[in-house]
Amino acid sequence: MALRDVEWQACLLEPRRDPAQEAYVRRVLGTVPSSVPYFTAAPWVVRSMASLGDLGAPLAHIEYVLADLIALVVSQDNSCRYCFAAQHVLMRVHGLPPERIRQIEQDFLEAEIDPRSKLALDFARRISRASPMVSAADAAPLRAAGWSVPAIKELSWHAAYSVYMNRLMTEAAIPPDRAERMSEHWALGWIAPLARLVMRRRWRRGQPTPLAPGAHEGPWSELVRAFDGLSVARELRRTLDDAWTSPLLPRRAKALAFAVVARGLGCPLGEREATRLAIEEGFPAAEIEAVLRHLASPALDAVEAALVPFARGTIRGRPAQLQQRTQALQELLGPEQIVEVVGVTALANALCRLGVVTQLT
Amino acid sequence: MTGGGLVVAGLAVLAAALIVALIGAHRSAGRVRGRLATVTADLERLQHEFARFAPIDLVERVIARGVPSGGERKEVTVLFADLVGFTPLAESVDPSVLVRILNGYFERMSAAITAHHGHISTLIGDGILALFGALEANPWQTDDAAHAALAMREAMARYNEELAREGLPALAVGIGLHRGRGIAGLVGSHELMQFTVVGSVVNVAARVQALTREHHVDVLLTADVQEALDPGFTLRALPPSPLKGVREPVATFALLGRDGGPPRA
Repeated sequence: MALRDVEWQACLLEPRRDPAQEAYVRRVLGTVPSSVPYFTAAPWVVRSMASLGDLGAPLAHIEYVLADLIALVVSQDNSCRYCFAAQHVLMRVHGLPPERIRQIEQDFLEAEIDPRSKLALDFARRISRASPMVSAADAAPLRAAGWSVPAIKELSWHAAYSVYMNRLMTEAAIPPDRAERMSEHWALGWIAPLARLVMRRRWRRGQPTPLAPGAHEGPWSELVRAFDGLSVARELRRTLDDAWTSPLLPRRAKALAFAVVARGLGCPLGEREATRLAIEEGFPAAEIEAVLRHLASPALDAVEAALVPFARGTIRGRPAQLQQRTQALQELLGPEQIVEVVGVTALANALCRLGVVTQLT
Repeated sequence: MTGGGLVVAGLAVLAAALIVALIGAHRSAGRVRGRLATVTADLERLQHEFARFAPIDLVERVIARGVPSGGERKEVTVLFADLVGFTPLAESVDPSVLVRILNGYFERMSAAITAHHGHISTLIGDGILALFGALEANPWQTDDAAHAALAMREAMARYNEELAREGLPALAVGIGLHRGRGIAGLVGSHELMQFTVVGSVVNVAARVQALTREHHVDVLLTADVQEALDPGFTLRALPPSPLKGVREPVATFALLGRDGGPPRA
């Protein structure tokens, strides 16, 4: 486990138990991950952690094991120690022997996985890296290998969801020690078959889930509509609405953070939508370009002036760098606002990497 | 003992020897696996570390298929830094002290550059070649380079205070910034190879850095940088100067600071 050497700061958030939120997470996941109490100040973040994953939004087109492999590969690529260790445990529960997992971690392109899955994993990793942004042309090899458009959308979503979880855990420096200890515990091999039985009872095949008529509108509706038919569309709509209406941060600041991440990644769809929302919320249209070009403008208020450069810093970078930036932000914002900042920038990083799904027909 | 008994005893000895051999083989296979796992973990660590110095896709391509021969044209901002008056300093202090001073300088400059999304491509003697926008596309590369230069100035001032407390001479740095297109790729020989950018964009940055002595300023930038720069930076225009390899005299600007508070990280 090379990631154990990745520099990781002391946790930047205070855990706060919330029985109602934990009950929801337990209902969806069957357990409450140790990270949950750190995010309860922003209930939409906790809800999304469970609802946007494959147990909250059941898979219809790809296998659960592949979704978890995507999470493993993306978490490793993002050096997220927490998620990587958690996925490592999940892989063991799936029944993969440690040698095989190690092989996948080392180089999945050379590992003993079928070529279709390798293509899917490579595609997922490219979505996460976004260097450059994945386009419809990049999806052509998947189509040629027999992946359907809904399946490509589903695996794209899982790459983005992993980016989301990675950013949440990394920006807040959620302690990875417990998951890391568990991933290497000698007893894991014995417990895995039982855990596998419990886990598989929660796997359901997703059914075609058309968006409700009202769900076609709202922030980032073009992106949400691109997932119409998959169960995640409904949950994504809800997450975006909840994030948008959450009172912890002003909407204008959230829109600007999204716009900055979109500009940094080169996502015209995200930038268009986020700037529209920022202007709707009263940000001077003439100043938007200055913000996106220089991350500064006299039109920014104090929260925005702190959030804009922070959002930029979440696009890429080593965990310690991201965590130092979160720490610096703590001097300017309250603890509850910090939780929402982490949630918003994590969501922006996930969604702005997904432009490809709007190009797939 | 009968003949049959002898055969059974022989077989038992053979079986015992076989079991001992199998256990031995199993243990040595375990040891090999353990060593392999350690080596693999080290390789993974190296791969992650290399990603700080070259694009991760390039690192993977090198590992999988060897060094690619091609390069890629990229828009980059180059920061070239050099210590002013290093030669007399080198002659006046003990070599071990000099190395300590230099390492302290590199450490602080490197921190300022990486905190602002740049990466150090090469150390040339006491000089630093840093690139912004070379590893990944970066729409804020020019502002980042200017912020890095200001952070280097601050770090240098703090370092000089430390040196003064030890009775050591102060250091001064000259920094040149230029933006343009260069060829990014793996450059070098079989023995020593590095990911860098080559082309006139690097040469101009180095020569602009040399101009800092002529203009008696610490940070100088070209018109190409000035055009892309956040207007919040305070600049002072300087008279055009001839630069080796450039036909027309080059207009430069001294970077004085930035309005509205401390530089961003």
